[in-house]
Amino acid sequence: MSKSILVVDDTRSMRKMVATVLQGAGYTVSEAADGAQALEMAKTRVYDLVVTDHNMPRMDGVTLVRSLREIEEYNGVALIVLSTETGPDLKAKGRAAGATGWMAKPFDPTRMLDIVRQFVA
Amino acid sequence: MNAAAALGDVAGFHAIFFEEADEHLAAIEAALLRMDQAPPVADDLNAIFRAAHSIKGTSGMLGFTEIASITHVMENLLDLLRANEREVTRRDIDALLHAGDLVRMQVAFRRGTLSETPDITAARAELLALASAGEAATAAGRRFSVQLGPLAAAVEDAELEMMLSGLAEMGRVQNRVIRNEAGGEICFDVSLSGTGADLKSVLTLVVPPEQVRIEQADALGPQADQPGVVIALANHEPAIEEVALARETEGRCVPDAALELFVTPEAWRKRRTTDKAPEASASQVQRAGRRATDEAVGAMENESRREAERQAALAQSESTSIRVSVEKIDRLVNLVGELVITEAMLAQQAGAANDGGLAGIGDLARHTRNLQEAVMSIRMVPISAVFTRFPRLVRELSQRLGKDVELKVSGETTELDRGLIEGITDPLTHLVRNSIDHGLEVPEFRAAAGKPRCGTISLSASQRGSNIVIRIHDDGRGLDRARILARAAERGMPVSDEMSDDEAWQLIFEPGFSTAESVTDVSGRGVGMDVVRRNIQMLRGTVELASRAGAGTTVTVSVPLTLAIIEAMTVTAGPETYVLPLAAVIESRRVGASEIRAIAGRGRTLRVRDEYLPVLRLADMFPSRKESARGDGIVVIVESDGTRAALLVDQLVGQQQVVVKSLDANFRRVAGIAGATIMGDGKVALILDTAHIIGNAQIATGRAYA
Repeated sequence: MSKSILVVDDTRSMRKMVATVLQGAGYTVSEAADGAQALEMAKTRVYDLVVTDHNMPRMDGVTLVRSLREIEEYNGVALIVLSTETGPDLKAKGRAAGATGWMAKPFDPTRMLDIVRQFVA
Repeated sequence: MNAAAALGDVAGFHAIFFEEADEHLAAIEAALLRMDQAPPVADDLNAIFRAAHSIKGTSGMLGFTEIASITHVMENLLDLLRANEREVTRRDIDALLHAGDLVRMQVAFRRGTLSETPDITAARAELLALASAGEAATAAGRRFSVQLGPLAAAVEDAELEMMLSGLAEMGRVQNRVIRNEAGGEICFDVSLSGTGADLKSVLTLVVPPEQVRIEQADALGPQADQPGVVIALANHEPAIEEVALARETEGRCVPDAALELFVTPEAWRKRRTTDKAPEASASQVQRAGRRATDEAVGAMENESRREAERQAALAQSESTSIRVSVEKIDRLVNLVGELVITEAMLAQQAGAANDGGLAGIGDLARHTRNLQEAVMSIRMVPISAVFTRFPRLVRELSQRLGKDVELKVSGETTELDRGLIEGITDPLTHLVRNSIDHGLEVPEFRAAAGKPRCGTISLSASQRGSNIVIRIHDDGRGLDRARILARAAERGMPVSDEMSDDEAWQLIFEPGFSTAESVTDVSGRGVGMDVVRRNIQMLRGTVELASRAGAGTTVTVSVPLTLAIIEAMTVTAGPETYVLPLAAVIESRRVGASEIRAIAGRGRTLRVRDEYLPVLRLADMFPSRKESARGDGIVVIVESDGTRAALLVDQLVGQQQVVVKSLDANFRRVAGIAGATIMGDGKVALILDTAHIIGNAQIATGRAYA
């Protein structure tokens, strides 16, 4: 069975791009439009990896990461933040929350696949 | 693998991006204009930031570098304002609005609707200047590159964090790369007001002095403003080369802006194999999830609750609505139109056959009508689609003209057919411009007249029956009767002092009329109220003016809810059936041949309540091959632009709703004909263009200014 990845971004076009890249590599992709929706989805099943935007309405990416780390099943799941924001303080927050990595937008699809392949559960 | 290949067909994302960008830009503008009226709220700043941020993200991916670049500097400024580093000034709002415009133009350029790429340099420079104006007050000019390492051993995380946050408080820490392990390095750039020695003293608290290397870079250079490396899909390889080049030339650990891993893949794999998470029941997942949700909600409480609620409502509406192309809806409307016609034909045949077995026809009629209403409602959009452009217009015009103007909008949720939106935008814009330019006085004048310095323009919309009524009211000086009469006389229009106010105001609608003493660049560019009225009439609407000297002017525009269906009166002339829009019909009555009199120079006229109306014989206007009966007939008095004419027809058939079909689209444009419809018996009937017919009558009888 192909690995499942949850893609979280409030920008539809960005979400679709990430999804397309991952689907192209054979992953099964689910999409959420913000952190709160993603958290709801994550409660019903455990994804093999999560790629999330940071700046989103309702719940931001770092808060999502922190919330997911509270769920035991997500201890072993790589949580990658994908954001245009790359400030050191914010990255530090992401790291403290339990993010596995921080990728900048615009992203290089090849590189994203490379990282995903290494971290997917 | 090439980036473009991984993404597949990039063009597919363009359409989504363009649509998204439009929405974001509208949101940015609305929020900016709100900020212009009142002190900014965090919600608005956050919303603008997020919108700019979204646009930047996707445009960067799609290789729209200008868009990415300008939204990036917008973000810089917004970040500063968001952090409350200084007050939001009018200049900030101007610059952000202008930047939004440029993004909109860039989007149009990428869409192919604009042929030239707009220049963003000046706007970018302005935003940067504004952003650095705030920075100068908080952060200082010296910039250092710091390299700690090779480390003898990993520094304790807490200590490292404390040092970095301490530095961040003194200035700004950027481009951090941390390999906190034996033999690793910690690199970052820091800008602060102190000296290199000060910096070193802080760093040596954590790392032995021999491992500290500090280089002073230039004062905050352009580097700080670079939008990062934009990886253009269309131009992927060079971008990667740039990164590699940058790495080489600097020759030491360069922060990898594109990716920072907090855990190495090796460590990750090791951790996963050693502590494999025990299988948990679904209820455990849920319990943990609930705990996490509670905490997340708690964390959000500090932020604005209102923002959360607004966004939740937005998400709600997103999940309960779908996007459908306009084309599909138009097709649906057309098909329902056909169904309505078929239903009418069936009903007529059933009536003629007097067939009791067709009892279900009544139900069919009812369902068809309901279906038609439901389908029409899909095409309805709130008039806010037009109104949202006015805050910006009012702001800019009032600034340019040195007037204080407050815009009040009400009834913006009133819905009308989307086909009307385009047609009504220009006339309304013109009317609002007029109100600001000609209607409202400058503050000093207002104060002298005992009025509040700030003028008010109110824009309201409401539904009255099958019409939408839009009122544009200003509390300005009102129309100047004497000036209008003088101007009209100058233009050779027949005027008299006995004219009622209403008649005087009608003069404004005449072609070529303009009272502005000097032609301003705002309105009065030759495009006058006559064009406004013509445009409204093309939508089968009306314009009315009311004014009181010194107290203001009110323009009332009324347009039908939809252009697809009209209330109509059907008449016959010879063998043909014609349709008259009911809105244009004043009355109809029987006339004897003796009542119609020829008056020298005026042609045939009919006296109706002390007014001699030109008589137009429909059968003459559209001669049929077959001869029609002459003699007594029925006249239908029609009105357009406040002018009336008597239309001589053979028979009145009745009143009914008809589905309008465009003659332009199906055949070609015909003077005097506004469209066509299919009648219950399946025959095509032409819909008459009353404005054109009356206009012709005036020319024919030489009463152009009656």
